[in-house]
Amino acid sequence: MKNKLSRFAVPYEVWMALFVVAPIVIMVFYAFSSAEGGFTLSNFVKMGDYTEVFLRSFELALIATAICLLIGYPVSYFMSREGASFRRTAMVLIMLPMWMNFLLRTYSWITILDNNGLLNQLFGKIGLIALYNNLTGSELTYFPMMNTQGAVVLGMVYNYLPFMILPIYSVIIKLDHSLLEAARDLGANSATVFRKVILPLSLPGVLSGITMVFVPSVSTFAISQMLGGGTELLLGDLIERQFLGGAYNPQLGAAISLVMMVIVVVCMVVMNRFGEGEEQAVML
Amino acid sequence: MSKRTSNRFGDSLLMGLVFLFLYAPIFILIIFSFNAGTSSSVWRGFSLHWYNELLHNRLILTSVYTTLMVSLLATLIATVAGTFAAIGFYSMRRSRRDTLMTVNNIPMMNADIVTGVSLCLLFVVFFNGWEHFAVWINSVQSAVTLPTRLSLGFGTMLIAHVCFNIPYVILAVGPKLRQMDRNLIDAAQDLGCTWMQAFWKVVIPEIKPGIVSGALTAFTMSVDDFIISYFTAGSSTSTLAMTIYGMTKKRVSPQINAVSTLLFVTVLVLLAIINIRESHQEKRAVRGTVSRPKAFKKPGRAVIILRRVAAGALACVLAVVLIVTGKAANARPVVNVCSWGEYIDEDLIAEFEETTGIAVNYQTVESNEALYSLIEMGGADFDVIVPSDYMIARLIDEGLLAELDYGNIPNYELIDAAYKGLNYDPDNKYTVPYAWGTLGIIYNTTMVDGEITSWDAMFDPQYAGQVLMINNSRDALAAALLDLGYSINTTDETELRAAFGRLREAKDAGVYQAFVMDQVFQKMEGGNAAIAMYYAGDYLTMLENNEDLAFVVPDEGSNWFVDAMCVLKTAQHKQEAEAWINFIASTTSSLANMDYIWYASPNGEALEQYGDYYFELYEEELDEELFAIMAPPVEVLDRCEIYENLPVDTLALYNDLWNQLGI
Amino acid sequence: MSKELIRLHDLCMAFDDELVLDHINLYINDSEFLTLLGPSGCGKTTTLRIIGGFTTPTGGDVTFDGVRINDVPPHKRQINTVFQKYALFPHLDVFENVAFGLRIAKIPAPEIEQRVMEMLEVVSLKGFERRRVDQLSGGQQQRVAIARALVNRPKVLLLDEPLGALDLRLRKDMQIELKRIQQQMGITFIYVTHDQEEALTMSDTVVVMDKGRIQQIGTPEDIYNEPKNAFVADFIGESNILNGTMVRDGVVRMYRREFPCVDGGFAPNEPVDVVIRPEDIDIVPVEQGQLVGTVTNVTFKGMQYDIIVDLGGFKWLIQTTDHSPVGAQVGVKIDPDGFHIMKKSEYSGLFGDYSSYSEEYEELADVSALEEEESGDEE
Repeated sequence: MKNKLSRFAVPYEVWMALFVVAPIVIMVFYAFSSAEGGFTLSNFVKMGDYTEVFLRSFELALIATAICLLIGYPVSYFMSREGASFRRTAMVLIMLPMWMNFLLRTYSWITILDNNGLLNQLFGKIGLIALYNNLTGSELTYFPMMNTQGAVVLGMVYNYLPFMILPIYSVIIKLDHSLLEAARDLGANSATVFRKVILPLSLPGVLSGITMVFVPSVSTFAISQMLGGGTELLLGDLIERQFLGGAYNPQLGAAISLVMMVIVVVCMVVMNRFGEGEEQAVML
Repeated sequence: MSKRTSNRFGDSLLMGLVFLFLYAPIFILIIFSFNAGTSSSVWRGFSLHWYNELLHNRLILTSVYTTLMVSLLATLIATVAGTFAAIGFYSMRRSRRDTLMTVNNIPMMNADIVTGVSLCLLFVVFFNGWEHFAVWINSVQSAVTLPTRLSLGFGTMLIAHVCFNIPYVILAVGPKLRQMDRNLIDAAQDLGCTWMQAFWKVVIPEIKPGIVSGALTAFTMSVDDFIISYFTAGSSTSTLAMTIYGMTKKRVSPQINAVSTLLFVTVLVLLAIINIRESHQEKRAVRGTVSRPKAFKKPGRAVIILRRVAAGALACVLAVVLIVTGKAANARPVVNVCSWGEYIDEDLIAEFEETTGIAVNYQTVESNEALYSLIEMGGADFDVIVPSDYMIARLIDEGLLAELDYGNIPNYELIDAAYKGLNYDPDNKYTVPYAWGTLGIIYNTTMVDGEITSWDAMFDPQYAGQVLMINNSRDALAAALLDLGYSINTTDETELRAAFGRLREAKDAGVYQAFVMDQVFQKMEGGNAAIAMYYAGDYLTMLENNEDLAFVVPDEGSNWFVDAMCVLKTAQHKQEAEAWINFIASTTSSLANMDYIWYASPNGEALEQYGDYYFELYEEELDEELFAIMAPPVEVLDRCEIYENLPVDTLALYNDLWNQLGI
Repeated sequence: MSKELIRLHDLCMAFDDELVLDHINLYINDSEFLTLLGPSGCGKTTTLRIIGGFTTPTGGDVTFDGVRINDVPPHKRQINTVFQKYALFPHLDVFENVAFGLRIAKIPAPEIEQRVMEMLEVVSLKGFERRRVDQLSGGQQQRVAIARALVNRPKVLLLDEPLGALDLRLRKDMQIELKRIQQQMGITFIYVTHDQEEALTMSDTVVVMDKGRIQQIGTPEDIYNEPKNAFVADFIGESNILNGTMVRDGVVRMYRREFPCVDGGFAPNEPVDVVIRPEDIDIVPVEQGQLVGTVTNVTFKGMQYDIIVDLGGFKWLIQTTDHSPVGAQVGVKIDPDGFHIMKKSEYSGLFGDYSSYSEEYEELADVSALEEEESGDEE
């Protein structure tokens, strides 16, 4: 019976070979070839110029991931302690924004954060800006929030927070209640129970959340263009530019993508080893 | 106890803040869909105007249709394939399953952009291979003629969506399979089921919750996806996300707010219904155990009917949505047009379709360079494109354009001689001009002291944080070249490097608030920046929303550009393309277009008649000053140069410098 | 008297070159309660699965009513199964679980209703029809599983350790219940267990298996009283197994002494295994004893004391109602019919010594725990 059923996977294996493995092979091939088609390493050499872009992207993505974790973990934890109907509603509310296109949601932040945007208007009305000017002796007419790295991080947190909450929540909710009781029985107080039992057991969810936030953050291009002002490139912008943007150079684009992929995969593998949560590591 | 309550309060506060954070932007979007004005930040009163407009906006409706189609199909395929794959995986030996799961996780672990890019490369490689294959097949036999040219489009996008959806389905179904008692299949067979019956009657119901949640996740991901679609759809199909992306570069029409609000509310209602039903069921189940061990029978007839009605209603809604939005996507003679965003009076499209019966598939792309990339990668199956001068020269050089049959374009006669025989197409073989204008500086008179007359303003630290630089290598470097007194067509590396230095210096000094293309509208109109470098026609559009703006073609000179319609060599509908070009070149079309996009037409009659046309339409005199900005007089044009196509080395230098500026 | 229903002929089964069943030959009569008994991994479940049709043997034949059914799929066999963990369909309620097979067979609805209710009556689950199966206790689930199988009126019912997950008390009740149902329905039960007591209580015939081979087939009494080798002797009940020599018929020699016994038919001076059941040994004053030893351990068992006596370095388990203190010198006496003489086999010397008495009990507990886990992973 076993073997009969395992045949079900054959079409998908073929599919994966065609549309998952082959594209990557082709990408590797592109990365090592010049515009004329010969073998070259120059794409990678050229990438040296963009070290700063790499660093900046990883830095911003890390910050965004950390913030997501700091907000997402408590939220998931509190949610899991609430009643069933509240939990379900909260889940729906967290998933729901994804149905409003993410570009549009991000675009909406421009309205909010702009120099003349809603927040600054609000701050002006309630006198916060005047207060700040009085305190510091500056002469601001608005708080510059748009087109900063902070705005980019905000955009990332905003868009990817649900990807942190969902996996952590789904792990915490499945924790065996008797484990907590056992820990309490063995003399642990609430804080210790959390630290020694809940936290380690929810680690797979945390790891998968980190993956699911970090990966899209590090590679985003729309968010940085919309909220960051485009003055400082991120990896995603750089790649996009090589394929569909001004600087048509798919070989370089493939090389950058490849390096980014390798770095991300290595990070994730190391993290999963550390957490030993491979099986559940990626789970929604 | 008191600690408990304070904790509770803290929890609620945190949850409240998180939801506020998640929903504030959404509410703003929804509110502004009812705005009477165009702005997305200034409230001008309540109106359903945009919803009404929406019903007539082909571009948006088509993209909604495409989005729904691709998401539904991808979800369907991915759910079926993913379920089977998951069953297969879980019947395998562990080691083999683990390997396959790793491969399966690649699309999820990988950045979307890498998935999109790698699939895009795959398709391009495949298309190239296919072309050789098809040519060879066609040459050795004549029974079947294979199409030689394939291009990115709905099919490739669908494949990509299926690709990233399947892993979600597998991950949702997998745990259910793991929880399932393997003996269930045996038990079903034991009780007389054939193997297939056991599968349908036991396995599927057993893992159904997993399948449903997998399908839901997949559908959500599909609807929300932008990046992967962007790389795999080419430009002849666009999802809602891509349409929005095209618009965010300009100004997002409140119609988009309207359509998103509608989608959002629909989903909200659907989820609410599901949610309520589930909690009812749960309650019933709980009650069943406690107090009524045997009381309740099968769900009553009324409930069943209600359920059927609800399902039917849902199906109807879906069908109606698909029909309404799908009307646009009918198969008729077609012409695929690619142009810039907000660069045509859309009524013209409807008019053309009505008179000729040819359906127009109108797409937009954000820059000349992006257009070039699309053509180069084989991602485009456009017939008519509207590139700018220098890009036309490049396309002609590379042999990508088809010679036009001017016999089919009688209106070509109407084009003023001043716009014929320009350097990009000296013999008038490939192009019919579409619009022309100048590049200059737009500034907010309330934020800048005095008049701006020089490109210096774009580099002046005095305006730190207030300047919007154009996000396009050619134009940005042109500003610096002009400021330094060089030609915008220079190929001299030292001059270019000097220009780059000027930009770099200004950037490091914090002069630039942002590098923008079409976002300039929103920023300048809203008073979020003082100075920007942009096109004259777009200045006039902005002026409608902010009267404090001024435009200048600096003393050092500037670029004057011509965008012209051309037909790609690979075009499949050349006749229709020429009909379209002829239609657009006519005087009536030119007038309508000119009035809509505020760029000058090259049609001599139209230029002459515009004043009268304007008076008739708005019953007020055309402001001569504004008309001079739209169609500058000869003395201004004399200061300006047209971009020429640059040699390959110089282009490469441009790219390098441009990338470096972003570091 | 009753006719033969199922025959296994030279049945072999190998998973990845590992021989799980080694030339099994067995026939099963109509209306018989037959138990396959053995430790985990002995091949009993595999045998059952082959009869059920879930596994195809790599060699040999299965015949049903004289017809070879090797390749007949499970749904075409007149055989139903009660699975180890019941394998009830969680998405269906009790009634629908029981009705499942009938619905597949497209029996008219009124008849289904009637047969299902009848069957629920038989397993004393009337009134539970609309319960969800996960709201039932283990014993109730068990009975649903039995009803679900029996409602199809199979000729043979296969039961794969059906009581394994129940607690002791419930298990005892269900043993009786099962036997009653079998007699009431008058069909063949093939029962798989590793619990020897269960096997002895319920079965008409017990088949003891180990390492993919049948060790002994017989009635419960035969198996207990006349074990064929050390494995069977040890697996069924408690046994002291010693090396001995058959001097001649009726006389066995061990501890350099000759004892009278009732067995015979061996070659003169043939080395043999001597089995002595703990309850067949009497503790007597030293001077009356055939052998003398020292008490090393005493455990109170309610009905009797388990006493370990060191006899010349070999530790015997003796079950008696009289208490002897640890360290006491005691005499040991065995009646001639207390000796059971077996030929030497591959199992000789592996069993029957109680020198590590208490640990052995613990080990047994471990093994059974392990078994449960294994059986979960097995499929």
